[in-house]
This record gives sequence, structure tokens and C-alpha cells, in this order.
Amino acid sequence: MAANKQQGSYFGLFLAAATVLCAGIAYFEGASGKALLALGAIALIGSLFGFMGIKPLEGKTALKPGPEGMKLVGAAVCALGWFLTLAGIHITDSTGGRIVFALLGIAVTLVGIIYILPAAFNKNAVWKADSGASERAGITAAAKTTMEHSR
Amino acid sequence: MKKILRYSCLSLCLLVLGLALGVVAHAQTPAPAAAAPAPALSPADAQLKDAAGKAPSTADLAKGDPGGSITGTINDVPAADSKAGVTLPDVANQVGQNKIAANFIWTLVTGFLVMFMQAGFAMVESGLTRVKNANHTYMMNFFVYTCGLFAYWILGFAIQMGGSAGNSNLGGLNSLTGEHSMTLFGKTWGLFGAAGYFLSGHTYDVGVMVIFLFEMVFMDTALTIVTGACAERWKFITFAVSSVIMGAITYPIYGNWAWGGGWLSQLGSNVGLGKGYCDFAGSGVVHAVGGLTALAVTLIIGARIGKFNRDGSPNPIIGHDVSAVLIGCFILAFGWFGFNPGSTLGASANGNLRIGTIAVNTMLAGCTATLGAILYMWMFKGKPDMSMSGNGLLAGLVAITAPSGFVSTFGAAVIGFIAGVLVCVSYFFIEGFMKVDDPVGAISVHGTNGLWGVLSIGFFADGTSNYGGSWNGVTGSVTGLFYGGGVGQLAAQLIGISTLIGFVFTLSFVIGLILEYFIGQRVSVETELAGLDIPEMGQLGYPEFVFRPEPAMSAA
Repeated sequence: MAANKQQGSYFGLFLAAATVLCAGIAYFEGASGKALLALGAIALIGSLFGFMGIKPLEGKTALKPGPEGMKLVGAAVCALGWFLTLAGIHITDSTGGRIVFALLGIAVTLVGIIYILPAAFNKNAVWKADSGASERAGITAAAKTTMEHSR
Repeated sequence: MKKILRYSCLSLCLLVLGLALGVVAHAQTPAPAAAAPAPALSPADAQLKDAAGKAPSTADLAKGDPGGSITGTINDVPAADSKAGVTLPDVANQVGQNKIAANFIWTLVTGFLVMFMQAGFAMVESGLTRVKNANHTYMMNFFVYTCGLFAYWILGFAIQMGGSAGNSNLGGLNSLTGEHSMTLFGKTWGLFGAAGYFLSGHTYDVGVMVIFLFEMVFMDTALTIVTGACAERWKFITFAVSSVIMGAITYPIYGNWAWGGGWLSQLGSNVGLGKGYCDFAGSGVVHAVGGLTALAVTLIIGARIGKFNRDGSPNPIIGHDVSAVLIGCFILAFGWFGFNPGSTLGASANGNLRIGTIAVNTMLAGCTATLGAILYMWMFKGKPDMSMSGNGLLAGLVAITAPSGFVSTFGAAVIGFIAGVLVCVSYFFIEGFMKVDDPVGAISVHGTNGLWGVLSIGFFADGTSNYGGSWNGVTGSVTGLFYGGGVGQLAAQLIGISTLIGFVFTLSFVIGLILEYFIGQRVSVETELAGLDIPEMGQLGYPEFVFRPEPAMSAA
């Protein structure tokens, strides 16, 4: 699909909605502020669903669905590390203890970033597929078309 | 008789003349109180009067002042009461305004330098991508400025700096008093600001405008880091929406916690960890936030077609323009003199004369980092690689950004050298082990070395800086482990690092997944293979170039 008029329109709506939403936050104390907030939020959600409506027009991408649960687990592990660090600030009064908690938190988060998430996203990566699968995904055909077009 | 009459007339005339002159004199100057004697001038006022008397006249100045020795005198000090002349309060007010004016000018001009870094980023990123994606990459770097600025104006600035009142360098910023906080275990912790939406209301203030401009260009630097890591396959619409969200939410939240009076900066005053989390110019706030967001989006968006073989081994995908890359690096290094020295937010008072040290630290770290990267590549890979040399320079600059205001030149040189080696190690680890495709090395340059810069303060801060006698509300200088400061500062820095990778990365990742669900992050296979210039931008970056077929494509 690439860039098109619909994308531009929904992006315009997204920006307008964000502006109205923020005006609502800025003047939240008054009734008009609350109305602006609600209006902005509705328009913002509308723009997102507008984007979703035209998303299938993009065509096939070089991404394959991966294990969604593993991605969420990875994100949760990353956040867990941070919570450990936060907890350490209050659990102990000693600086050394807080350093230990911070290092533990960093290590847990790094497990999520370095091991779990890449494994989740690379599990079904296109580059792992055999050439036949790539052919079925239309990659080689598209490549040939592109090369001919480029000449 | 005639003689008497003549003398009488003459006397009358003299009397009338005398009266007339007296009236005129009375009209011109206030008559001295007949009874009360004139109040005696204080020595200071007397000196001011004397100086006013000796000041060059308009006629003197009309002759020109080629030596510059008579321009700028007491005549240029505005007097509150012109009849009384310049007084001591007038002079004091002028001194105060001069201080603020010098700081405004310093902060604005260094902000302009940081803004110019956008050009450097555009050249580096486009130069490191293939010619078929040049227009798209340049446009992302161009449009990110608009998206970020708009988002920061409507929301981001209020979140980040809305509670940052009290900066004496810029006149107090007293209208920024909207920090929302929570009380936990008897301590108050700042969470986010809430003053300055649209720069309206009480924040329509000269000082607030200066800090807005300066903070905005920093925010934009963070945003443009992501475009490099996601180059050559990121949908333009998703990039635009993502940039708005990052400029409005992701960046400002962490910015508030570190710089806007938030909880990280309160770790010193609340729980006694050094001077609280310290990040002088943004290794963490700007670069690590940008680099970690880049990593989050790059994980979601996947590797470019042809980047990895079936066994996972990477293929080099060479950029199209060496000159753009290296000139871009120089532009960035130039702009960094705004980034780091400008972060004093002033050139006058509060220890701000340290700007010279900060500037030298900046250039030294860039120097040793370039050496580190070139030596690493030359010794372990056989060639002084161009792209890693440029990345080495940038890595050193990134790493010194946080500690630049707190370390000696020796510390800066060591921090830089480690950064130069680290960027190479990190790049090959991220590509080889994690199988993450980062076309320009942005994750290693900004993410890894941003974290290293934050950490290095805990070791290398030498305790000689003095920005008004305290930092983050804690009296004394920032001092690291190697200079007798104990481990308190190190602990605060580690908590900051944990927050960066645990909170900022996770938030960016979740936002990225939401955008993937609603909009889709990646262009189609056809678009990617054709190059993004025509499908996404409508025209080629270099229309007269002839593309070669890429072997990697058929291998895919």
C-alpha cells in the first residue's frame, strides 16, 4: 500500500485529537476541559481504528506471527527487574543493600531484553525460513519484480 | 532728579530681571529647601555621581570608538529616576539583568547548536543506509523535528518541566510549580509535572521560553535516534505517530524524574544516595532513552530482508555515502558543544564558569573514543572501519554527556576510550547474539554508551564541581567511588540505569506493540525490496542512480 491519502487523513485526525485531548488536560478543572478531554479521547481512538482499517492494504510484510505470550512474558520480566530495584529502595536502609537490589533488578531486566524477547521475535523470523518458504511468502517473486523494475 | 529716576529705573529693571531669572531657575531645578540642608550622598552614590560626570559625552561618542574603550559606561545603565541619576539599586538591578541575559544568550545559542545536530543525524543515518532508502531516511530525520516539537509543546514539556521551579540561572522559572507527587514511606516523590501545556497561562514567561527551547531540542535528539535503528523498513506513518507519542509521553516522563524534580533526582535528599541520580547533560535522559526505544522498536520491526542468513550469520549491508557519514559525525561533534556546556543553563554565577572544562571533557572523550574504536577494529577485524570510527566518536560523546560536568579531563579520557571499545563490542553482540538489525549502530552508540555514561558518574565524579554549592538539593559536590565519595552516588546511578532498562524500555516496547496492532510497523516486502523512496515518499533521493540487483534478495 505504502503511503496514501487515507494515512494522511488519519494522521491529521490523530494530531487534532491529541491537541484537543491535551487542551482538555490543561483545562481539566473546568467543564469545557472535561468535554475537550472526552472529545479528544474519542477522536484519538477513532484515528487508531481508522489506521487499523487500512492496515491490511499494506500487503505482506517480512514478519511472521511469533509467540505472543512469550513477548508479553519478556516485557513482564523487564518490568519485574525495575520493580525489584524500586522495592530495594524501601526494603533496606543500607546503601550496599540497595546496590544489591539494583544489580539484581538490572540482571532480571537484561534477561528479558537479551534472552526472552529476541528469542520470541526470532523464533519465526523470515530469515530462518527455507527458500521454499520464502518463495511461498512471495519474497523472491517480489525481489525479481523489483529488480526488473529497477532496471 | 533725572539721575535719581534713571537709577530707579535701572534698579527696577535689574530687580525684574533678577526675579525673572529666579523664576526660571526655580522652574528648571527644584529649589533647595530653604531650611533643610541637602542630604549627604553615600560614598557609593557619590562615586556613581563622579562616574556619571566622567562618562563620555554624546559628542565624544559621535567621534566613533574604534578601541571600544568608551562604549558601555554608566550612561548605559537605566536609572529608575532620571532626575536622581543612576543609583546603587539601579546598578544592582542591571547586574542581575546582565546575569540573566548572559545565561539566556548562552542557553539559547547552545540550544541552537543542539538543534543543528539534526542535520548531522540526518547525514549519518542516510549515509549508512542504501541509496534506495535515502529520501525516506532523510525525511524521517526531517519530520521527527516537527512531530517532536509539536508533541512537546502540547504535552511533553508540561510533564517534564512543569514542576521544575527554582532555577536561579534563568530567573527562577517560578511559574513551573505543577509537580504531582506521591508520599511513600514518609517521603514525597515527584512523578510528573503539570504546568506549561501549550506554554500558556502563567508559563507565558521569558525564562520558561528559554528552558522550553533548550529542553525541546534535547528531546528531539532522543527521537531521532530511533529513526536510524529502524531505517530501511519502518512505515512512515508509524514512525510519525510513534514520534509524537515519544515526544509527548515516553521521553518527558523520564526527563521529569531526572531533571524536572522527579523521584530519581530526590534519591539524595530522600534516602541519602549521593546527590541523587545525576545526569548532567543527558547520557541517560536523552541517549539511553533514545537507544532503548530504538531497541524496543527494532525488536518488533525485525531485521531487513537479507540481513541474516539461515544459520543466523549476519551479512553486511553497506551504506551509500561515506562522506555524508563522516561529515555528519563532525556536525554532531560540533553540536555537542551545545549539548554539554549548554547544560549549565548559564554562563554566569553558580559555578557556571566550569563550561570550559565541560567543553574540553567533551572533545577529549570524543577523541579517545575514536581511538578506542579504530584500534579495536584495526586489531580485531583488520581494518580501521569507517562506520565504526564514526560511531566511536559518537559513542565517546554520548558517554561523556552525563559526567561531563562532574569529571576531570583524565576521567573524560578514560570514559571516552572505554566507550569507543564498548560500542564495537556492543554492536557485534546485538547483531551476532541477539540477531537485532540496527543499520546505523544507534542502539550501541546511544543505548549502551548512554548507560555507560550514567554509570561512570558513580566512579569518576571528582568532587570539584560546584554549581551553587549543591546538586539536586543536597549540599556538596557530586563525588564518585574513585574520588572518595563512597558508593552512595553509584547506587543512585544504578537505580537510574534499572529505571531506564526496566521502565523506559518496557514502556516503549508496549507502545510499539500497540502501534504494531493498530497501524503495523513494517512496510510490505515489495516496498522494502523496491526501496522506500518511491512507495513511501513518492520520489527517489537520487533519481539518476541505477540500482544494482542485490544478491541477498534472491537468497532470502
